[in-house]
This record gives sequence, C-alpha cells and structure tokens, in this order.
Amino acid sequence: MKISLNWLRDYVDVTLDPDDLAHRLTMLGLEIESIDRPGESIRNVVIGQILSIDPHPDADKLVVCRTDVGEGEPLQIVCGAKNMKPGDKVPTAKIGGVLPGGFEIGRRKMRGIESQGMMCSGKELGLSDDHSGLLILDADAPIGADAVAHLGLDDVIYEIEVTPNRNDWASMIGVARELAASLETTLRLPEFALVESPPEAERLSSVQIENPDLCPRYAGRVLTDVKVGPSPEWLCRRLMAAGQRPINNIVDITNYVLLETGHPLHAFDYQTLNENRIVVRTARADESIATLDGETRALSPEMLVIADATRPVAVAGIMGGAETEVGENTTQVFLESAYFAPVSIRRTARALGMMTEASQRFQRGADPEMARYALDRAAYLMQELAGAKTALGVLDNYPRPPEERRIRLRYARTHAMLGAKPAPDTQKAYLERLGFVAEASDAESCTFRIPTWRHDCTQEADLIEEVARLYGYDLIEPTIPAVRRTERVFAPNDGRLRRLRRELAGYGLFELVGMTFSSSAEVAAVGLSGAYLDMVPLQNPLSENLAAMRSTLLPGMVRAVQTNIRHGRRDVRAFELGPVYRPAPERELPEQTLRLGLVLTGNAEEPHWSRPVRTADVYDITGLIQAVGDYFGASLACAAAPFDAFDPDASAQVTLNGRAIGWAGCLTPAVRKAWDIEQPVFLAEVALEPLLDIPETPVLFAPIPAYPPSLRDIAVLVDQSVPAGALVDAARTAGGKLLQRVDVFDVYTGKQVPAGKKSIALSLVFQSPERTLTDKATQKAWDAILKRLQDDFGAQLR
Amino acid sequence: MLDKLTQLRDRGLEQIASADTLQALEDVRVRLLGRKGALTEILRGVSQAPADQRPLLGKAANEAKKALTEALDARRSALESQETKPGAPSVDFSLPGRMPPRGHLHPLTSLVDRIVGIFAEMGFQVAEGPDIETEYYNFDSLNTPPDHPARDLQDTFFVRPGVVLRTQTSPVQMRVMESCPPPVAVVVPGRVYRVDSDTTHSPMFWQVEGLLVDRGVTFADLKGTIMHFLHRLYGPDVGVRFRPHFFPFTEPSAEVDVYWSAGGRSGWLEVMGCGMVHPEVFRHAGYDYEEYSGFAFGLGVERSAMVLHAIDNIQHFYSGDMRFLEQF
Repeated sequence: MKISLNWLRDYVDVTLDPDDLAHRLTMLGLEIESIDRPGESIRNVVIGQILSIDPHPDADKLVVCRTDVGEGEPLQIVCGAKNMKPGDKVPTAKIGGVLPGGFEIGRRKMRGIESQGMMCSGKELGLSDDHSGLLILDADAPIGADAVAHLGLDDVIYEIEVTPNRNDWASMIGVARELAASLETTLRLPEFALVESPPEAERLSSVQIENPDLCPRYAGRVLTDVKVGPSPEWLCRRLMAAGQRPINNIVDITNYVLLETGHPLHAFDYQTLNENRIVVRTARADESIATLDGETRALSPEMLVIADATRPVAVAGIMGGAETEVGENTTQVFLESAYFAPVSIRRTARALGMMTEASQRFQRGADPEMARYALDRAAYLMQELAGAKTALGVLDNYPRPPEERRIRLRYARTHAMLGAKPAPDTQKAYLERLGFVAEASDAESCTFRIPTWRHDCTQEADLIEEVARLYGYDLIEPTIPAVRRTERVFAPNDGRLRRLRRELAGYGLFELVGMTFSSSAEVAAVGLSGAYLDMVPLQNPLSENLAAMRSTLLPGMVRAVQTNIRHGRRDVRAFELGPVYRPAPERELPEQTLRLGLVLTGNAEEPHWSRPVRTADVYDITGLIQAVGDYFGASLACAAAPFDAFDPDASAQVTLNGRAIGWAGCLTPAVRKAWDIEQPVFLAEVALEPLLDIPETPVLFAPIPAYPPSLRDIAVLVDQSVPAGALVDAARTAGGKLLQRVDVFDVYTGKQVPAGKKSIALSLVFQSPERTLTDKATQKAWDAILKRLQDDFGAQLR
Repeated sequence: MLDKLTQLRDRGLEQIASADTLQALEDVRVRLLGRKGALTEILRGVSQAPADQRPLLGKAANEAKKALTEALDARRSALESQETKPGAPSVDFSLPGRMPPRGHLHPLTSLVDRIVGIFAEMGFQVAEGPDIETEYYNFDSLNTPPDHPARDLQDTFFVRPGVVLRTQTSPVQMRVMESCPPPVAVVVPGRVYRVDSDTTHSPMFWQVEGLLVDRGVTFADLKGTIMHFLHRLYGPDVGVRFRPHFFPFTEPSAEVDVYWSAGGRSGWLEVMGCGMVHPEVFRHAGYDYEEYSGFAFGLGVERSAMVLHAIDNIQHFYSGDMRFLEQF
C-alpha cells in the first residue's frame, strides 16, 4: 500500500518531519518498505504559458515556442511535441533546471535555433508514464509558480507492508486513524453533502441476497445523468501517487474511495443490467463470465456472484464483468458497496487465480459498517465530478449485521504480560483513541466494545498488544528471565552429532549441507533402484528434479564432486550429516532417519613439497569408516558385497556387529561417465541411528602392563584369494592370551613371490600382565600361529 | 718450577680457546694432560722436588690441571654443539610447513551451533522435530486454521492432504509442550520449507526457534533475552529495536531489527520474529494461560549468516562449492 503524505494530511495533522513519521509508523507496526520523494531532485521547473507556436525553419518535426514563465522576456523553446496550442499552461524547465535522474537543462541550439529551456511531459517529471505529449495543466495554474508544488510532487510516498491481520491499514483513513491515536490528535473524516433527488431508488432497481452468509450486506445506489469523462488533475495525481492509472471519472472515483476508506466499490452500467436489478447468489452449473481483464472465467457453484435477472455480472468482491462495464456512453450507474464473507472470497480468488485490490481486502475482512459511508462518499464525488444525480434512498440489504464483540481487559494482566506498568487510565485511553469503546469499567478492568474494522481483536491478549503498541515497545525495559531447568532431555543425540561433525572436519573433510529435495531420476543417475526409488513425493514441487524428498545422500555428494571438478577443484574430501526420508504408509508421517555420507576423490591429502602426492583410494574410505566406528566406541566392518552404485571390484557392505548399516566403495565408471567425472570417486553412506543407539558409556581403564612386550613378525605366502583379515583373525585365535595385538604391516605381490601368491607380513605383540615373557614362551605362541596359518591357509613361511 | 707451571697453564688455556675443531682440542688435551703430556710430566715431578716446595707446587699443579680440564670440557661442549649444526643456514623457514589436515564445518551448521550455544548458556535445551509435519502441528495448533489469512504468507509444500513440509520450526513448540508440563525452555534448530526460490530465498532453509514458558514470563523478559542474544551474535554495540508485527501464534508480536553496517551501507535489518505465546497455542497444548505465560522467537539461519558474512546469494550454501566452503 502506497501512502501519500500530502493526501494523508487531509485526515490528520502531521507535524513530524518525513523521517520521524516513518519511524513513528514503523514503531506502530506499519512496516515501511520504501520512502519515495518524487519531486526531490527536480529544480527550477515552473508553470509556463505558451504564447506562440511557429514552425522550425529547418526541421519538420520541431516547432519554436515562446513561453511566458512569469519573469523577464518569454523564453524561446524548441519543442517536438504536438499536443499543445497557444495559451496552454505547461511545466517548463528553465536554463539550469534539473529533472528526475539528474538531467540538467542547458542553453543549446537545436537545428540552428537556440532553445532556452524545456517544456515537460508527465513522464519527464516522473509523474506518470505518459510521454505522448506535454503535460497540459489546468487553465487557472499560476504562471511562474513552482511546478513541483503545483503538481503535488513535493510529496513523500511511503510504501507500507500491511500485515494480514490489519486490513484496516490498507486505506488512507485506516493509517490516519492509527497515526491520530499515536500522535494524540484527532482523525478528520471527510464531510460532504450528498444531494438525493427523485425518483426513488427502489423504483429503479432492487437488491436480492440469496446467500446472506456469504453476503452479509449489500448496499447500492442508482445515479443518473452521469457524464463519463476524464477525472480532474488532483484526483489523477492521487491515484498515480498510490500507483494506479486513471481511467475515467466513475472508475477513478470507486478506486479513490477504495484507497481512502479501504472499502471496495463497484460501478455497473445500470442500463446493461437485465431488468436493472441485482441478485447476489452462487453461480449456477456451467455459468461463466467475461471479466474486466478480458478473460472468460468458468464459474463453479460454490462461487458467489453478483447477477442481474439472468446472468452473472460480477465475481462478487473480486472483479466486475465486461458486459456491464461503465464506458464513455454510460449515463446511469448502479453503484455497489457490499460486505462479503472473507473465506468465500479467499477460496474463489484462489480457485480463479485472481488477486485484486478488492479481493485482497474482502478476504482479510473488510468493515461492514464502512459500506454505507463509502457508498455515499463515492456518490457524492460522482455528483461533484461527473454531474451525477443520486436517486432517493439507499438499497441497503443488511441481513447479517456483525455481532457486537466485547472484551474485558484486566489492567493487571497487561502488567503481568508486558513486564511494564502503564496505569489503568492510560491503558483505557490508548484503546479509546484507537476506536475501542469503553463500557463497563471498574478499578481493575474495563470491558470494551470492539470496532467493526478490528477483525483481529478477539481476546484480551489482543487488547494487551494494542496497549503495548501505543505505550511503545521501545519503552519496555528489558529484563533477563530466570530460566528454570528440568531433568528432561529433548534431543539426546544433539551433542554427540555436533561433536561428530567437528571430528570429521578434524580429519580434513569439508562439511556439505545439501538440499533435501531429490527425484527418482537423480537416484537412478547414481545407478540406484529398488527401495531407493521409494521416495516421499511432493504434490507441488518447484521443479521435476526437486519433486521428492531424498532417499539417499549419494546423488548430492556426486553432484558436489561434479560441481567442484567443473570449477577445477579435483580434490574433494567431504561429508554430509543429514536426514533421508521414506514413505511409511501405515504411519501418520513418513520416516525420517539420519545418514552420514563420505566422499573422496583426487588427492588423499594436501600436496606438500617434501613428499609425493598420494591419490585417494578405497582404503581412505574404509579407514574413515573405522574412525567413525571408533568415535561411537564401535567396530565397523567392511566386507565385499555388491552395491548398484559401486564398482563390483570395490564395493563393500558396512556392518555393525553383523548388522548391515551402509555401503562403501568406488563409483562405477558408467555413473561417473553420466556425471562427466573422469577420476575415481569413493563414497560411503551409513545409517547413524544404529550408532547413536550405542550408549555413551565411560571407557573402562585397562591397567597399564607392568612387564615389557615381546615383539615378533611373521611373514607368509598365501594364495591371492585369501583375505588379510582372515589371517589376522586366525592369528588372533591361535596366539592365545599372550597375543595382545596383530597388525598387517606389509602386503606384497610381484617378482619376489610366485604367481598367484602374495606375501603378507604381520607384526605380533606378545605380553603378559604377570611376568616378563621368556623367548621360549613367545616362541611357543609364535609357532602355534604359524601352524594355524599353515593348516588353515596353506601358508608358507617366508 | 712454579713459573713454568703458570706459563704452561696460560699457554694451555690459550691453545684450548683457539682450538676450532674437536680434533684440535683433543690434540691440545693430549699435549697437556695425556700420558706424556707436559702437565702430567710436572705432576710426576712434584715428588722429586725439595720437600719444602712440594706442598706449594702440588697445590699449584692441581689447580692448573683443574683449570685446564674445565676449559677443555667447556670448549668441547661448545664445539660439539657447533658441529651438529652445519655451517650455512640449511632450514628454509619460508618453505610451507606440513599442515595438519584442515576440514571446514559448514557456515550454517557453525552458526546454528553458535546460536544454540548462546541460548544453551542461558538455560535453554535443544529440541527437535520432523521436517515432514502434519498440518495440525504446522498450522492449526499454532492458531492458523484453514482459510486463515496468514496461510497466504507461506506457500507450503504438500506431501499429501494434511501432511506438509514444515514451513517453520514452530510445530516443535507444540510437540514439546504436549510432551511435558511447564516450565519449558527449548531452542529448536532445523530445516524448513517454503515454495520460493531466488537469490535471497531458498525452498529449503534453516530456522532456529526458541520457547520459554513458566510463571511470570513477560515481554520485558523476551526483550532482555533477545537483546542479550543479539549482542552476543552481532557484537555488544549493535543497535536492536523491537517493532510490532503479526504472527498468528504470538500476541503481542514483534519483529526485531539490528542496526547493521556493511559495504558502505547501514540501516535497520530485520533479523528475528518473536512474541508472547498466543492463548490459543496454550489451549492446544493444554497449558493454563492464566497461570503460565511464555515467549517464542525464531530466526532464519541463512539470513543471519548472509548478514554476518556479507554473503550475496543464498544458493551458495547448498552448492557444495569448496571455493565457498573453505572461506569458513
């Protein structure tokens, strides 16, 4: 909503400077989105009168004018416009004048003739979009006067955001009322004298309401002798200041009164109404209407329409019909001022996809009591500006007047809620200034009757807010509450997950936060199918590739790799910790679980001048998984198993105590190709809930051994197919209690070993808590291990 | 004899001082104190000296030996420490050292941690709720019934009738209140969703919500809590103002601005919404509005991060672009 300060002054005296006014409005809850001073940059533009117009000797499209600017000799101005005649008054920029945008007028020659200024169009002054010719001013405009002030360009336009609860602010009077309350001054409603003349309106028309629940009030007047034509300058200016385009005096008046009172009106061409009467009803099956915007709208039976005897002539509260539109030849007008139920308007406007000034106001709740005032105001303006005669009486059908609402305010309750103590009288005065009517009152409380324009006020808390607003939020002294703690825990895993993220960043990984939207196409693009395609779909997605909630973190991570490689960043080491979703038809809501994703590609570590760079491989991923297991005090195992997204040679299932919780491996070449990635990409995704289920128990201290360990190695040749892990497990069982630790420290295949074989070397730590081990004891355990490796794997000692 | 001793000692000390390698020093030692060394000879000769000179001579000889031995030791350790360092400076400190691996937490999760941390210190506990919510929790229970004008403000993603992607973290307020009686002090971080996408809006973004309910909680307490928080987050000198606004689930409601300067421009920037919990919300939660009162607040994490870090486009957060992520 655009609020013109000059216009606002019609209703309330404002002495604040424009910035202070903006602050005042802001602190009342009227959020200022922008402040525009349209004439601010204009200098030295005055009202001139054209004395003569002569052809330019050397240019067909130019003329040479002599224009009187009220001082000195008339100015010689070369001009390209055609719409003026001698005697017209026009805004004239003198030499040194400045137009919006900083355009400065200098003395210059145009095709050999000196031009001593410039006469302006509406557009050149920033007044309108009209650039078809000069802006011709009223004949009584004073020559030589400042054009900025004359045109009302010395205005300040506040663009305000009206919150949906305060529809009453979507009007000049509404804003003025608020301001008057805040400034402790009076609101001036326009006073006018509407003259009625015979015949009686009842003899010219009638109003019938079939659905009083949807149309609690419908008031109308019939106007005759209407002369449709352009609106006067002041009216056009005000509409333009509010961002509207003038059309003709009748339409402009309805728009003007809408802006002034917040109450939407509609003018029908009386003679186009069949039987000249109005029926408010819902649409019949198969009815349609051609609306003013040139569209034809199919109507459905729950939509409320304004009809004449035979057909819909307007979509109630939203837009009028084209066939009954007021035009140049209209001489009689049926003027509508109604009140429609918000929900009905909201649903119809949504269904038809129509958002209009009228529908916006009706669906947020207009003021039924304003309907009559707005109707009379518009009829009066038509009387003054279009020569209209108003028929006797109002056709006011008001089957459902609003219930009077009363709310009791306990003054102490205000104190308790705000932590500030405005006195009872002060509280009462605030509300009265806002239009609330104090009725039953005692020392502790007061019952107020709620103004009909305040749909938002339904209980005591709403009155407390009114008091708080006028008291001033900024005057409430801040205090720090004592926050009582309880033994409850609402998010038991929060701390553990936060520390996990830090831990992972400590490993050198970047944290990703991905969109949780995905699509089945994206899932398929990483080679996955089956359960991964069982996604939670959205009914109204932004686009096809964001059509469902993600079922896996993998596509997002592959996309991150693709993005970075495109930017020349080939080394990606990252993780994401976030939710995935799955339909759960038997439950109220889909299932949401937490996953950890890991991705590595390119270098495994930052390059350093002192050493060759190592590229990442699958063991970097499995190592990270081990580290994550360690973080949770668990042992995570990776065992070869096929997974659709991964290369069969490098694909593993991640298990926790035998339970599958995820996958790790190397992206298949086909998927890489589809994403235009040439280098190997290593990925893992594990479910976090099973890990979070592991209780955070304290670590139990193991006594530090008092006797030294005995270190031995063992290196054996085995078949290529034997997994190292099997050798380690066998050694661990064969080594008995003395074997404290087994590590693989070398794996070798090549010239030194026969084909089909590999050499695996294990380091063994023997230790006893009771004594220093003798060589003999160590050797015995070592022999047992060797024998087991020989027996189980046909291992040969190297 | 004594003169010879003094001369030997002084010359020895000179030779020790000028020995510039360990080998040269060793040669000096052998010449003086070796088996056939000059001082060794003198010491041996003491027994042959006249008896009346013997004590004096013996004392002087021992003193000379002591002085020379000490000088030899000192010189040796000096030379040793010199010799372990090669002559020319061979460490180039301008070469980059080996950095430990450096990861980067995402700016959004870092900021969430920071925000939650500030409220946690004030006694608020973290609570969570599902991203996919019922309309009841997301709207109806928060005093936003169907056809309420406020629903127009938030374009909602629907999963199916009655089930939406939550448009705010506020439904968690209701879930928490339903689960326990007052007092309640929670802070709720999480993803939220709205049908909107441009340089400052993302269809998915993060909010942090807060709720305090107890006896005697006031709007003044709300102001104090929020101001403390904003001064911690934006700095102790930042200007903070509360102006009336509308939210369906609070009454009175406020929006909070900070006075912020960046890139040569300064002004009030909206950073939070808040208010006193609406009686209808208490009614849905089964809390007694006459006995208890409470406040709630919420803020957009992306918006705060964009203000704090001067980030121009919200889409950076979700791009996975390391050129962005490594800056934090």
